[in-house]
Parts: sequence; C-alpha cells; structure tokens
Amino acid sequence: MKLGKRWLPAHVLVWTYAALLLVPLYYLLASAFKSNDRIFAHPFALPSSLGLGNFRTAFTSADLGLAVVNSSLVTVFSLALTLLLALPAAFALARSAGRAAVVIERVFSLGFLIPTFAALFPTFLLAAATGLFHTRTFMVLFLPATALPLSIVILVQFMRTVPGEMEEAARLDGASTFGVLRHVYTPMCLPGIATVLLLNFLTFWNEYLYSLVIIGPDPAQRTVQVALPTLKAITGTDYGVLTAGTVLTLLPVWVVYTVLQKRMQQSLVSGAVTM
Amino acid sequence: MTTLTPTPGGTVVRPADPPFAARHQSPRQGGTILAVPALLWYLVFMVGPLVAIFVIAALHWPGMLQPVSFAGLGNVRTVLDDPVFWDAVRNTAIQLAVTLPVMIVCAYMLGYYVAQRPPGHRVIRYLLFIPGLVSTPAKAMVFYAALSPDGLLNGALKGVGLGSLTDAWLASPTTSLACLIALDVWSGVGFTAVLFAARLAAVPGELGEAAHLDGAGHWRTMWRIHFPVIRDYVGVVTMLQFLWTLFDSAQRVLLLTQGGPGTSSTTLSFLVYQKAFIAADLGYSQTVGVILFLVGLAGLLAIRRLFRQTY
Repeated sequence: MKLGKRWLPAHVLVWTYAALLLVPLYYLLASAFKSNDRIFAHPFALPSSLGLGNFRTAFTSADLGLAVVNSSLVTVFSLALTLLLALPAAFALARSAGRAAVVIERVFSLGFLIPTFAALFPTFLLAAATGLFHTRTFMVLFLPATALPLSIVILVQFMRTVPGEMEEAARLDGASTFGVLRHVYTPMCLPGIATVLLLNFLTFWNEYLYSLVIIGPDPAQRTVQVALPTLKAITGTDYGVLTAGTVLTLLPVWVVYTVLQKRMQQSLVSGAVTM
Repeated sequence: MTTLTPTPGGTVVRPADPPFAARHQSPRQGGTILAVPALLWYLVFMVGPLVAIFVIAALHWPGMLQPVSFAGLGNVRTVLDDPVFWDAVRNTAIQLAVTLPVMIVCAYMLGYYVAQRPPGHRVIRYLLFIPGLVSTPAKAMVFYAALSPDGLLNGALKGVGLGSLTDAWLASPTTSLACLIALDVWSGVGFTAVLFAARLAAVPGELGEAAHLDGAGHWRTMWRIHFPVIRDYVGVVTMLQFLWTLFDSAQRVLLLTQGGPGTSSTTLSFLVYQKAFIAADLGYSQTVGVILFLVGLAGLLAIRRLFRQTY
C-alpha cells in the first residue's frame, strides 16, 4: 500500500540497473565454458557443456595456481600483521585519557587524507632501499600500514564500549595489561575484529597497482591480480580463457561474500561511514 | 575534515565518578606505549613516502639511474608548459563533472528505493554490492571483453539490428574516456546506494509519514524531507567519491586504454604513474602528485562547505 502504482518507473529503473550488473557477470561466467567461436556467434547463449578446458588453460598459461597461493600468503600474513599492530594500539588509545593518546589518535585519523596512490613512487624507492624490491615480503609489511588508520578507528570505537568494571575485575584477579587485552578486550570486540578482517581481506586480495609495481612480473612472486591482466597478452583474444581466469580470481571473494553476506555488508558500510 | 574524523574529544569523554577514574589513572596511562609499534609502522610506510613526494617534486631526476639535481620550481614550470598535462586536467575535470553528480543523484535515489523495502529488496541489496567485491583488474577484464570490437556490446547492437552503431569503444578517441567513466559509474552506484540506504534507515519513520499525511508524494518526501536531513552524510559520501575518482583512476586507465588513443583518456592520476614508470621522468611525476594532493585537499574543503548543514 505504501508503494503505489506510481512506483512502477522506479521498479523498472532499479531492476534495469540490477540487470546491468548481472548481464556482464553472466557473460563472464557463461563465456568461461565456451569456445571463442561460440562466444562471438551466441554471446548470450548458455554454454553447451561444462568442460573445464578454459580454466585449465588459464591455470597453466598464466601460472594462476601459483598466483592464488601468492595472493593467499600476502593476504593472510598482512591480515595477521594488521591485527597484531592495530589491536594493542586501539586498546591503548581506547583506555588512555593522556595527552599523547589524543595526539596519536589524531595522527591516525589524518591518514584518511593521504592519497596512497600518489605515494606509489616513493614507496617503490623504500622497497628498493630496504632490499625487498620484487618480493611479497614488502607487500606484507606495507599493506598493514595502509590499513591501520581505518582499522584502528573502528577498533577504538568497539573497545570504548567495553565497561571499565570488566577490566577492574580482571585486574583484581591479577591479570597483566596484556592479559586484560587478551582475555577481556579481544573476546568482547570480536564483532569489531571481524569487521576489520573482512574489510581488509577485500582490499588486500584485490590490491593491484602496488602489487604490480613492487612485486613485479615474476611468476614465482606475483599475485592473482597482477597475473590476471597478463592473460590478455598471452591468450590474445581468447575470451574463453580470459573470462575463465577472471572467474577463478573472483571465487574466494564470492564464497566469503555469499556465506557472510550480512556481516560483509555491515563491514563495508561501517568502514565507509567511519571514514 | 571534522566529518571524516572521529570526534576529537572522544577520548576524554568518559563520565565516571571521581574515585573510579582516579583508580584507573595509573595502569591506564602506562598503556599508551602499546600504540607505538603501530604508529611507527604507519610513519615509515605511509607518512614517509608522502613527505618524499614533496622532496622528489623539487628534483630534476630524469630516470632511476640518472644523476639527480635540485630543480626548485623548475618542474612546476615544465609541467605547466606541457600540453599533455592540460589534456589530463581537462579529462580529470570531465571525469569528476560527470561521475560525481550522476553517482550521488542515482545512488541517493536507489538508496531511498532500497530503504523503503520494496518487494525483492534483499535480492537488490545482494546484487548492488557485487561490483564492490570485484577487483579492478577483474572489472577491467569484464569491460575489455564487453567493449572490444567482437565483444558483448557490439554483439548486442548487431543482434537488435543496430549494427551501424558498433565501434571499437576503447580504441576510439571519442569514446575511450566515456568508457572509463561508465566503468566508474557502473561499479560505484550500487555500493554508494547501500551506504545511503544504511543512513536513511536511521531517519525516524514518522518524518516520512508526517509528510505523506500532509499530502507530499514520494518524490517530494525524498528530495525535500529526507535529503536535507542526511545532507551532511551526502557530503561525506561525496568527499569519498571525489577522492576515489581523483586518485584511483590510474589503475583502470592503465588496464583499459593506457591513456590513449593519443591523450584522450589520460587522467592526472594516470599521468603520475605514466611519468614515473613508463617515461621515467620522476620529478615531473611527483610534481603532478603534489598537484593532485593539493587539488584533493581543495576539493575536500569545497565539498565540505557546499554540504554544510543549513537548517
């Protein structure tokens, strides 16, 4: 009743946009199972078979298997390091009323202003200077730094909601500062930690330009996002292989999104809102 | 920037009775040291490179292994005298002028639609996020497959008998920039709409109902009631979108058109990349980087002024 007949144009427009989002993805998925000839002749037809030939070619010609391993390594270690740095920092900033804490918190908030992209070349110099140029290691060290401002701001907000009495009680039981962080704050901030993990998982897995410049083209080190565009050069215009490769790089994110749909949407929204 | 940063006084706002607070002072103060590793990390990897942009911008540095000399403002003069720079300025201006209004208006309306919980809104919500999950290279591959001469769009045009309209979309000077803008809008509207929907959900429902009782239609309620209420949030989203468009287009340009044909799709952020890693003119590249940074700051301040709460 609330949405009367006059909403018809709105329904039509919104579902048209939804179709615009879906059609390229359908094309992507369908083409991954088709040969080039069939893609050109019948771009929208369903694939006639579910043969995995294109996937196999994409896997071998661009070393995508190794690239997936590399991406996973970079993502997992970067996530771990981000938490390792952000949790104690957020803990300190949330509990402390000192002048220093206020200043530090403000320095982190200013991080939103830094155009990370413009600093690409100096970061490249830093990688060269540390002798970590063309390695995944540098990315593992670098990515957490870019994620710290947002992660800390989100975690501080969660940690401020932990009641002081909880800490009092733990202290009376003889807990050290680290004990309080581990046994009181960390368990109580699990939703915040999940938010930070999901948000950063998406950024780290999808990171492209820095990986391209810093890790470079070496197949032993490069991530999926760097390997993917090389398919275009290797396979020429074999769209079947190209789309199969693209589908492969999307799978992990897709699985996580479908399983944790609600959680992920909340994380993304709260990430952008906090910014 | 206050809208973008958490309340500065936040740390001190902890209403507690005095003895409680006093008992807390000693152990709590000592904890600040735990923030130091993160701070150092952030200074080394983020602030350091940022400062370096300004230093390198003042250097004459024609390539990685070339001798470096001090250039002062020489790079600024070179950049300003370069017609390529002005092409990039023009392209970036077009990109911002089209993307920002289209994105904000469409996303707001779409967000309003979703917030009314129409039939199927859960499906819509699920779909809207999808481009946000797809990495830039993957998006570029989708667009490459869709817009190439034998691709999806031309196939569709031929299919409906409009074969004469087909084009090599990414390789034509008149359409390459438009393709990049289309990619931005295609992938950005959905995510931005969900942000608006989340904010609109927090607007008290009585507000809309009161307007309906007074005889206002949905169109009026949407623009005259809800829009002013979340005006400052629109400002925040506009700032984010502005920064993304200004800073992040380099990857998409690199993947899809390489700035060409000619300079028809060279944006400022791609120019920074191109001069550093392809043309190896490092002073030039970082000078554009500094300009980009200053434009970003100026834009943020302007947007903040524009969306200042007026009621």
